[in-house]
Amino acid sequence: MNVEHVLTTCPYCGTGCNFFLQVVDDRLIGVVPCKTDEISRGQLCIKGYNAHAFVQHPDRLKTPLVREHGELKQTSWEAALDLLAGEIKRIKEKYGPDSIAFLASAKCTNEENYLFQKLARAAVQTNNVDHCARLCHASTVTGLLYSFGSGAMTNTIPEFENADCIFVTGSNTLEAHPIIGARMLKALDRGAKIIVIDPRDTPLSRLAHIKLSQRPGSDIAWINGMIKVIIDEGLVDQDFVKTRTTDFDKLKDVVKDATPEKVESITGIKPAELAEVARVYAKADRAMIAYAMGVTQHSNGTNIVEALANLAMVTGHIGSESNGLNPLRGQCNVQGSCDSGGLPNLFPGYQRVDDEKARAKFEQAWDVKLPAKPGLTLTCAIKEAAVGKLKAMVIFGENIMMSDPDLGHVEDAIKELELLAVIDIFPTETSKFAHIVLPAACYAEKDGTFTNTDRAVRLIRKAVNPPGDAWPDWKIACELGKRLGAKGFDFSSPAEVMAEMATVTPIYGGIDHDRLDREVLRWPCPSKDHKGTRILHTQKFTKGLGTFAPVDHAPPAETPSDEYPFILTTGRNLFQYHTGTMTRRSSKLEREAPEPYVEMNKGDAKRLGISEGDRVSVSSRRGTINLKARVTERIIPGSIFIPFHYAEAAANRLTNAALDPESKIPEFKVCAADVQKG
Amino acid sequence: MREEHGNVAPVMIAKGEDPGDVRTDVPYQLMTILSNLYPWMSDGKKIAVLTRRCDEKALAEIFKRGYFDRARIVQIGLACSKEQIAACRCSDPVPSTVDIGEPHAGVGSDALSEKLMNMSSEERLRFWIYQFRKCNKCFACTANCPVCFCDECVLEERTFVPERGVPPGMSFHLIRAYHLADKCIECGECERSCPAGIPLLTFRKLVAKDFRDMYKFSPGDDKNVSPLLTTLEGEALEGDECNEC
Amino acid sequence: MTEFKPTILAFCCNWCSYAGADLAGVSRLQMPTNVHVVRVMCSASVKPEYVMKAISQGIDGVLVLGCHIGDCHYMTGNHRTAKRIPVVQKILKDVGIDEKRVRLDWVSAAEGEKFQKVITEFVDEVAKLGPNPLREVAF
Repeated sequence: MNVEHVLTTCPYCGTGCNFFLQVVDDRLIGVVPCKTDEISRGQLCIKGYNAHAFVQHPDRLKTPLVREHGELKQTSWEAALDLLAGEIKRIKEKYGPDSIAFLASAKCTNEENYLFQKLARAAVQTNNVDHCARLCHASTVTGLLYSFGSGAMTNTIPEFENADCIFVTGSNTLEAHPIIGARMLKALDRGAKIIVIDPRDTPLSRLAHIKLSQRPGSDIAWINGMIKVIIDEGLVDQDFVKTRTTDFDKLKDVVKDATPEKVESITGIKPAELAEVARVYAKADRAMIAYAMGVTQHSNGTNIVEALANLAMVTGHIGSESNGLNPLRGQCNVQGSCDSGGLPNLFPGYQRVDDEKARAKFEQAWDVKLPAKPGLTLTCAIKEAAVGKLKAMVIFGENIMMSDPDLGHVEDAIKELELLAVIDIFPTETSKFAHIVLPAACYAEKDGTFTNTDRAVRLIRKAVNPPGDAWPDWKIACELGKRLGAKGFDFSSPAEVMAEMATVTPIYGGIDHDRLDREVLRWPCPSKDHKGTRILHTQKFTKGLGTFAPVDHAPPAETPSDEYPFILTTGRNLFQYHTGTMTRRSSKLEREAPEPYVEMNKGDAKRLGISEGDRVSVSSRRGTINLKARVTERIIPGSIFIPFHYAEAAANRLTNAALDPESKIPEFKVCAADVQKG
Repeated sequence: MREEHGNVAPVMIAKGEDPGDVRTDVPYQLMTILSNLYPWMSDGKKIAVLTRRCDEKALAEIFKRGYFDRARIVQIGLACSKEQIAACRCSDPVPSTVDIGEPHAGVGSDALSEKLMNMSSEERLRFWIYQFRKCNKCFACTANCPVCFCDECVLEERTFVPERGVPPGMSFHLIRAYHLADKCIECGECERSCPAGIPLLTFRKLVAKDFRDMYKFSPGDDKNVSPLLTTLEGEALEGDECNEC
Repeated sequence: MTEFKPTILAFCCNWCSYAGADLAGVSRLQMPTNVHVVRVMCSASVKPEYVMKAISQGIDGVLVLGCHIGDCHYMTGNHRTAKRIPVVQKILKDVGIDEKRVRLDWVSAAEGEKFQKVITEFVDEVAKLGPNPLREVAF
């Protein structure tokens, strides 16, 4: 009998906790926290403790499947890959390379994402490669690139513990990033002030010193209102603004209209309370902002992110220990899949595809001519598919039939495709529509790296063998690349892929698997003797001077009407994760949150004659779903909340696919909806 | 435990295998880790395990309930360091046989326990409500507990702890405290693994003191052959009775 | 201000205490009305979890009533109860809830008057303690 404890990285949120998988003779039996890990310190959340539960589930995909006469039939890898490569070649010849799109995955490793984008760019000659970061932090990447020059957390997770003020907005940190939340609780125990601004009550907001509720979609108004208070009361960090930033005058110009009365009328926040928040934040010695989907998933998400960047720069709360602006990334490797180039406009390491020098470098490295035109985003690809311009999609580990807005539209779009290939670990709502389904290995069955939300690159290690005939995604990508006749897909291990990636990705220049096996490295880590970077923008911003963006309030794309009087906002709960592919197959997690629900305010419910547990139907202009009501005082009147984990009542049947013009992120957080009993 | 990948990992090694860079200073809860593995180890071979004083007591409670076969477990006594004793506010740190380490005396008291018991009950309640509000229902306190071994955990029964609620409220902690009353050996693993930093060890120590005062019994006492709260004096444990606690 | 009327939960065993309660009722003894009686087969079947849950949800007082020691229909049920309830009381005390909110007593089928006395005393005592502080606490 062989017993092993394999150190690896959690496959759920972006915190990047390390733990041991307990293995007895190729069987996963449990999870043991790793006490010496810098990030998790021997502590995990309930998802972490159950991260082994789905791995050896009987539903796992075990053989390649190909659709014949309308049904998915088992076949061999040879046959499936030949067919896939053949179809890609056929469609490329017939409609051109830009008729094909690849979706990379925030659930796959850096190495795999590097290969996926290489597959698109080098083997098919298209920049049509994107992934679900489009749906979560696209606006962060775009907004912070403009403000700071780098779209990642400016500080590290442990630093939350030492902040004097933690300002949380649009993040249900204790449920969505529990171990980051744990650091905030440590700060709270120390006496730090926690401020939460959110339309919902969350476990963290109930502990906060100040909790304000804004109307969904009114964020820039209160942020500008705060900045105005800070300017009017002389709380600006003049030194910082003068030496480190530019365009402050433009900002001043915009915020002078953000009078307390005007802000209150837009946001519903009382002037005195907002002023108090501004003072507490501005006067703190060390203040960190943390934000997530509540900020980014708006049709003006990029502007909201930039407004928060303004707030951090005005007060000088950035660029030093426990001072910064911190987007909390929601997937184990969503930071990494952006870093490794799973984006239609950026090569690995945020080098622009339309930058001639960058392109020349990659052309030389890969020995192939590369397209210059930025590709389609995930959200635009769906729109193009619907009108018949996009013909093929190859999806690595994403479930767009659950995760994308306006699912009715997505369904229509993917039905139009000539080729839909899905590579995943479980059958999903998306794979139901696929022509080819390939079984992949999950995190516990392969080697590689995830980059967590604070830019730490962390190894995952193979603990057990994949089920049946499943292959790791990197091997699938390599085999596909070779069949497409491309050079540079002869890798025999993820470590070799990382070695290549490091040569073309300056921020990963010093990173290799041997080093990662011994130390925690955060990018930028440009050379082998570099220790990695904990805090960004310490001396100067990545782009030089930080830029104030003069952004102003704009209403959401859809506002309540007589027909749809509620504002619907979507999100996660603690126990389930995203489209539920993994968590709903983990019995302890499913036990805690087994069914879909809509949260609504007591007063609203009473008016409509709805009580706790009643069946209700919720509809928007795009669809209707049926689920249970959960009546609570923890959401403001006029707003409702639905978690998006449940296929039986998929919240994204309702959401609006209105896009932020810059980052193309959809407005998951606001749409007009109606609730009816029954 | 041994050093691996820049971290310290729990390991199980076969007879004759090179143990590598062994470490004994990181407080992994080896009894819990062994409890997870034990059902899979049906080969009847003997298992040697590093045993602190609290682990020794945990084993006594485990044996009492028939989860491990006493004959298969070989204990290697580990004396805790001064730092560890201080961190656990441990008054009884020396195992019956010390095979590794220097024995150190225990510390007398837990400062927080004393502070709490000197408070008015209103203040004490306020303190615990604040602490329990931080609870995020991760079940770390049960998952890592060496003496939590019911097949079906009462904290997962909807009657007592409603699903989905975060934080789970007072009853979660009160029920758990009751369930541990006759078996908690104060190893402190719940407190170490609690992401919310709830002083759970202090809570256990408060209950343990009451229990001692009432029943002249401390969990881990090998002389008492059956679980105290589920069985009556002199009565042997029947069937799955220990799940009835 | 109206007088505080506590909400009380009383678990009564089927064989003794519930019969005692019945007798008190048949004998038309005056009793407080704010007591919810739950009939259980044996005081030992009152899981401490129920008591903890009741107190956590804001019930002001919980009374557990069984047969006198030696009279248990199941021989030793009430011996177990006698061991368990004090632990519940101590845990409540440790978190700052008055242990007097939980009480264990024995009432036989013939003791209608004792039932009345125990109930009345307990209600008075809990009334003096005031409302359960957990009633207003939202977690």
